[in-house]
Amino acid sequence: MGSNNLKRIFLYAVIGASALGLTACGASSPDPVEQIIVSEPGQTPPPVLAAIEADPAAAGAADFAACAACHTVESGPGSGVVSGVVSGVGPNLFGVVGRKAGSVDGFAYSDAMRASGLTWDAASLDAFLADPAATVAGTTMTTGAIADADRRSAVIAYLSSLSE
Amino acid sequence: MNETTSTKPSSSKTSRSRAAKWTRRGFIGAGALAGGALIVGVAVRSGNPVGKLKPIVAGGDDEALINSWVKIDADNLVTAIVPHCEMGQGANSTIAQMLADEMDVNWENVRVMDAPADGNYVSQHAARLFVGPGTLPDRPNQVGFMEPTYDGLFTQLGKLAGAYITGGSSSVRSTGQNGMRIAGAAAREMLVAAAAKEWGVPASEIKTQNARLTHAGSGRSEPYSAFAEAAAQQELPRAPKIKQVSEYRLMGTPAPRKDIPSKVDGSAIFGIDGGPDSDDLRYAAVKAAPVVGAQIASMDASTAKGMGGVLQILNMGDFVAVVADSYWQAQQALGTIKTAYTETENDTVSTAKMFAGFSAALDEAGDTGGNSKAEYGDPIDALGGAAIAVEAEYKVPFLAHATMEPMNCTAWVRGGKCDIWTSTQVPLMARDGAAEGAGVNADDVTMHPVFLGGGFGRRLTPEYSNQAARLAKAAGYPIKMIWSREEDTAQDFYRPADISRFKGGLDENGKAVCWNNVHCTEDEPAEAPLIEFYDIPNVSVRNADVEMPVRLGAWRSVAHSQHGFFVESFVDELAHAAGQDPFEFRSAHLANSPRHLAVLEGAAKMAGWGDALPEGHGRGIALVRSFNSIVAEVAQVDMTGNKPRVVKMFCCVDAGFAMNPDGLAAQMESGIIYGLTAAMYDEITLKDGKVEQSNFHDYQMMRMDDAPEISVQIINGAPDNIGGAGEPGLPPAAAAVANAIFAANGTRIRELPIAKHFA
Repeated sequence: MGSNNLKRIFLYAVIGASALGLTACGASSPDPVEQIIVSEPGQTPPPVLAAIEADPAAAGAADFAACAACHTVESGPGSGVVSGVVSGVGPNLFGVVGRKAGSVDGFAYSDAMRASGLTWDAASLDAFLADPAATVAGTTMTTGAIADADRRSAVIAYLSSLSE
Repeated sequence: MNETTSTKPSSSKTSRSRAAKWTRRGFIGAGALAGGALIVGVAVRSGNPVGKLKPIVAGGDDEALINSWVKIDADNLVTAIVPHCEMGQGANSTIAQMLADEMDVNWENVRVMDAPADGNYVSQHAARLFVGPGTLPDRPNQVGFMEPTYDGLFTQLGKLAGAYITGGSSSVRSTGQNGMRIAGAAAREMLVAAAAKEWGVPASEIKTQNARLTHAGSGRSEPYSAFAEAAAQQELPRAPKIKQVSEYRLMGTPAPRKDIPSKVDGSAIFGIDGGPDSDDLRYAAVKAAPVVGAQIASMDASTAKGMGGVLQILNMGDFVAVVADSYWQAQQALGTIKTAYTETENDTVSTAKMFAGFSAALDEAGDTGGNSKAEYGDPIDALGGAAIAVEAEYKVPFLAHATMEPMNCTAWVRGGKCDIWTSTQVPLMARDGAAEGAGVNADDVTMHPVFLGGGFGRRLTPEYSNQAARLAKAAGYPIKMIWSREEDTAQDFYRPADISRFKGGLDENGKAVCWNNVHCTEDEPAEAPLIEFYDIPNVSVRNADVEMPVRLGAWRSVAHSQHGFFVESFVDELAHAAGQDPFEFRSAHLANSPRHLAVLEGAAKMAGWGDALPEGHGRGIALVRSFNSIVAEVAQVDMTGNKPRVVKMFCCVDAGFAMNPDGLAAQMESGIIYGLTAAMYDEITLKDGKVEQSNFHDYQMMRMDDAPEISVQIINGAPDNIGGAGEPGLPPAAAAVANAIFAANGTRIRELPIAKHFA
């Protein structure tokens, strides 16, 4: 027979002034017993990271969160090229600004990236992050493009700040 | 699919189309919209004008709308307006499939919309199903079981209720089968009549296909939208012709669900996502008194007051709340509040004491006492004469629902109006709960439809929308209230715990001659503990009255969840006592239940029952009919490790007719996973009046690495008498696994969860 889920509700509907009887006591819409108002919604500034916007590298750190799904940014015992830190889905990006593309030891770059001849700087990173497949045709970085120009420059500023 | 609009309903005065006579299938109404769209509905409350609904549903502002279940737009899109919630089960899409098939609309042109939470969208057929069988007009979708009553109270309430419900595995088999199909068929006939009139040809010469009308003789072809307005003027068909199974084009096919794209691309809005587009929206964390019936005696919020982001701290009498700029801030601050609660008689409640009470009640009921649920033959006498007697006692715990999306509600109360965004299976009850909390009329509450992140019967209660409305009213701005997982676990409406005792007897041929069962829970649905499909002549099934001072609720498959385990475990014990194979034993007792037998054989065959298994592996079988669907499952377990591992589950289901076979299979898998999660791992225990479990570390979920491979086979055994899909996959699962464990190494599990025996 069709479930008596309905019956169960009505059982509660009957038990003391509706199922609410188990939670509310007595009259409908009672006022709070005690209400401490610390501030009104208009008074508190909306949670905008205002401080961070003044520092693009810090803003970029926040924007980099999406990239961190695949890329690490850890310094290792070696130099910038051979970082000594194992890469993940994408290569470790510590010290990437100023580095030859496709050069981190131990990462399986695409042939296209190794042969690209790029040395990463602000301009080449900006082009690549805007459209990876167009800049390095055949790259394995199929996701992760950043459409917004301001966010791109923030991420690049962040990456630039990472060096030994 | 969500077509939530932010426009509030306007009170437009609409002219009403002439009422049609009551047909045996109900009152079919139709109207046209400005711009020529057709809307057709099957009245669920005769005589109720729905002028208010049309602007919400159809956007136009003249002409009549009776009750709209389908509308056709000028661009030839057909929208099914479905009075059920989408909680992952896919019923809304399936119902739209049924409508579209009757209307001869191709699936690409179909859209699905949640009906507004207005009393006029009551699924009367769903309500009838709940109220009592045998009242459905001329449809053979009836079940011959006793309607349970609490002194007739249930019947009365069922009739009064705004029954916009999603539950009981009933959406497709009631609203779909008895409502939407008729609306679709009626719409088609009216479109044909309109075209026949316009073209001056007999209606019988007009073909409908892919939302187009075609007259081969004169080479004319037009989309439905061309005739939508004219169709509304046609005479309403008294009894539209609905399709036979051989004519089904969409029904019975795995048409892709309409909610898939938004759930894949992340644009789907669940209750927890919903809310107004307002800069004033803030977040609330709440904690209600952990012991049932207790109130807040005092609250010390001195630390919370100074914490970042905190806006308000409220003692609402039955719960404490912190409102803050972010949910995290609210929850952190809530954690610092020291609360004292009032004393209640429930402060000493514990599961240990409750179980002791169950045992005492069962002792007192003995072999003949308690409330009788079924009595035929003479089981006492038969047991005395039996060649072999078998006795067993089983025990199951309280269970939490643990929906992945915790209870939540976003409320905005202002100017005598209230807007609610919440995941609920009962929008009208939630609306009423919010109205009471906000201090407004129910008609002034707008419920915004959303997807539910799991329901399972948890979201059949209105208390959390009441909470949010009260908070929003007190705070003065929109509030998104989200329960933490700890709060959700502590404030659930639990599946009842139970102890069930059996005495059975076998004759010298190993045939069961008697069955005597007494247990402690209410039986909802009533047939849950009954075994009339097995050929056992002397039966007594009774329940004893016990105290359970715990909030109880419907947990997926309700009483079938425990009785499936009890009954199919004891059948298995009878089989082994008779020295017979459990599949053979059951088959021998299903001579009068051919559909049950076919399902049992289907599962056994799929599983390769009888084939050799590796050492330490075992197979168990279980068979349960619930919500008008018959399901048999075979579990294959591996006992070679230090705890049981369910390797495979084979499921055979006869739901009458699978309207969407993909959907039915998915629901079987879902029921199995949900049922095995509880059976393997979970219990809710109480001590000092409080629930002891809090989060997924002590209320474990089954995950991909311990989930079995599941195979599903579908039998369409009764196309005129379709069963449900949401719940029936669950009841056999626990017994199938317990029976498999016994087969593997002789350990008989009589108490759930299974994990407690392998700690």
